[in-house]
Amino acid sequence: MEKRPGKQLLELTVNDEFYELAVEPQETLLEVLRNHLGLTGTKEGCGTGECGTCTVLMEGEPILSCLTLAMDCRQKKIQTIEGLDRGEGLTVVQDAFLQQGAVQCGFCTPGMVLATTALLEENPHPSQEEIKKGLEGHLCRCTGYNKIFEAVEQAARGKSRDGDLGSV
Amino acid sequence: MHLPRFRHLSATSFEEAVSLLNEYPDAALMAGGTDLLPRMKYRLDSPEVIVSLKALPADSPSVTPEGNLALDPLMTLTAVNRSDMIREWAPLLSEAAQRVATQEIRNMGTLGGNLCQQTRCLYYNQRHSFQFVEPCYKRGGEICYFIPKGKKCWAVFMADTAPPLISLGAQVKIIGQGIRQILLEDLYTGETEKPLAMASGEVLSQILIPKAPGNRGAAFFKSTLRGGLEFATLSVAAVLDMEDDGETCSTARLTIGAVSAAPLRVRKAESALTGKRLSKELFSQVADEVVAEIRPVPHHGHSRAYLTECLRAETRHALCSAGEGIKKN
Repeated sequence: MEKRPGKQLLELTVNDEFYELAVEPQETLLEVLRNHLGLTGTKEGCGTGECGTCTVLMEGEPILSCLTLAMDCRQKKIQTIEGLDRGEGLTVVQDAFLQQGAVQCGFCTPGMVLATTALLEENPHPSQEEIKKGLEGHLCRCTGYNKIFEAVEQAARGKSRDGDLGSV
Repeated sequence: MHLPRFRHLSATSFEEAVSLLNEYPDAALMAGGTDLLPRMKYRLDSPEVIVSLKALPADSPSVTPEGNLALDPLMTLTAVNRSDMIREWAPLLSEAAQRVATQEIRNMGTLGGNLCQQTRCLYYNQRHSFQFVEPCYKRGGEICYFIPKGKKCWAVFMADTAPPLISLGAQVKIIGQGIRQILLEDLYTGETEKPLAMASGEVLSQILIPKAPGNRGAAFFKSTLRGGLEFATLSVAAVLDMEDDGETCSTARLTIGAVSAAPLRVRKAESALTGKRLSKELFSQVADEVVAEIRPVPHHGHSRAYLTECLRAETRHALCSAGEGIKKN
């Protein structure tokens, strides 16, 4: 059998920072974020696309980092939950989750917050049904979802100092 | 959960993908990766090489000189749903794309990948390393755990976008040794272990939807337990083309998904609609004929009795909804 190559070079932009790394071809974006870059805010739940916990934003769209090969992220802009921190405190969505008690164990929260941020960027005033549709891929075993939906509604009503979804 | 080791090759065109697949016979083709990578994590597939199409940008929908709508199979399901052109030409495809899985998976998964999905089963699609039982038919054994008396594999083909495209009379272009064009319904073999009539070095390169005649009613329904993040219990795609009088059906196409190893056209039931004046009573009769024509494969905990009644109700529902879309004179 032909010898498999080892690590390959990958150029990656995460949270507006440029990285050059050597990764194995079978490493997922999730593994690279957590193990190479130390960005452990992104969690691994099921690992097979059924829970939404590992959600990150690629070019502003939510995707599952557990089912994305790191090698396929060349030239792509990735944003993780750490990327919401601009050193100015919580964002509108994070603040709404906190105020509404939408966080209990917190494991699903990074994915929920990023998916909510992307949802509100695209549709600033979603209906209850649109919120459920937007977050359908995210499982939460603690809250029963109602508090999360209320947090999304509060975030949709709220505005940051700059009138966007930035810091409150 | 970790992936097995493999070589990653990125294709920059469909032709390059074909030549890479020929060069590495044990390679797997990957578009969105949402079907292949979970299979690999479960060790159901362990290709030596992955030929990734992720670096290949998807073309926007366009109209061919023959008047067909041409779709790039690498369009994500989100892009299919957002396209105004697809919504105008094939609203039921737009609806079906929106019903697949979740927002994240629709952002990653492609139309072509959805059409080329593997068949699934509650037993088969999981990790097997902890189980001390003989492998099932689909894993090379000689037993079906889901239907224990089964003499073959009973996995089900569950893609949501196939039934609407078959009802729309879509064709697909396949690149391999040359280019061939076949009806989408002929892509499906009905064999659970090899559901697609494609050789290993072939790539789906285009999907063509014929232009709709003047007066058409169409509907797609996917029945699920939760409503999101779910494969279909079953799905129904109905297309009713009408005569100029707006009351007589000239052609009917009805396709049922997720009840067999391939999406099924129900031809007897279709012929019961052709040339008839449409009414709710006729739709109820046709729903009964569909149930007589199809024996749904029990899957994912749904019994055959439940699926049969579900099929009757959803077929009537889809036909009535398609009937409402017809322009009356």
